[in-house]
Amino acid sequence: MSANWVLKEDEAVELLALLITSARIQMDEPVEYGPLRLLTATERLSGLMLERSSDKTRDFLQENIERIPEMHMIMSDVAAYTAGLDERCRAVAACLLRHSALAEGE
Amino acid sequence: MMSEAVLTNIKTRRVVREMSDEPVERAQIEAILEAARWAPSGGNLRPNRYIVIEDAETRRLIRLVSPGMFQRAPVLILICTNWAVCAEHGLSASDRALLIDVGTAAQTMMLAAHALGLASGPVTSYSKEAVKIILNLPASYSPEMFICIGHKAETVGAGMRPWKKITWRDLTHWERFGK
Ligand SMILES: Cc1cc2nc3c(=O)[nH]c(=O)nc-3n(C[C@H](O)[C@H](O)[C@H](O)COP(=O)(O)O)c2cc1C
Repeated sequence: MSANWVLKEDEAVELLALLITSARIQMDEPVEYGPLRLLTATERLSGLMLERSSDKTRDFLQENIERIPEMHMIMSDVAAYTAGLDERCRAVAACLLRHSALAEGE
Repeated sequence: MMSEAVLTNIKTRRVVREMSDEPVERAQIEAILEAARWAPSGGNLRPNRYIVIEDAETRRLIRLVSPGMFQRAPVLILICTNWAVCAEHGLSASDRALLIDVGTAAQTMMLAAHALGLASGPVTSYSKEAVKIILNLPASYSPEMFICIGHKAETVGAGMRPWKKITWRDLTHWERFGK
């Protein structure tokens, strides 16, 4: 567990703006855009975190999140898009375990 | 023989979502705005108003409330509907011609930008309420669409793949239905 701050107040407000405006515009937009907006927010957060993260988080961000823009290109290929999201879900679970007492000593 | 220049311009324009920092000349921005003036308008009422945003901090704030604006464009042109003009002519807010006016202006500006060697991209995925506050818009202006204008970045990703390949034939029906 880490007590490091990885966001400045302005950065947090900017991320919040992205999330709340995404929620609003999603009311008028195609359902497929929902994941796109969440991924855009994920990328933004990752970009802000990178400099100030511990090694174990940074590796995860660089390997998984920095490559998210590639996924926007394949939105229309639902199977490939879903597989890409699954891959990142596995990676984030592994990252959570690295941060957790559960996996200590493994 | 008819010139192919206009058709080629129409067919080769693509939305650009990655732009460089290179500024756009004032004369080019004005040429794009002048082109919009010649777009067709329902009843020739011209309810559109254009707001040009070059200031870096204002553009940054707009991007923060525009999840669908992937570009960091040096120039934003916001197409607004001016309700005061509509009220003068008894047009209701639900009149779809108003949005068609936004569309004709948008496409005209993007084609003009393309003809000038500039890149462009439309954006409607933003919070209207947030944009009104950031730009301090008069109450009668409703912000309908941004046109991002700039220069295409040197290295550009592959772009979004289309949902499926479409030709004009897929979109067209000839004559009466049911025959
Ligand atoms: C009404 C309208 C709204 C649009 N909104 C956005 C937007 O918010 N963000 C974006 O990146 N592209 C937006 N676009 C661009 C379309 O995604 C784009 O035109 C389409 O994918 C076809 O690409 P092309 O114009 O390069 O052929 C919009 C286009 C239209 C006509």
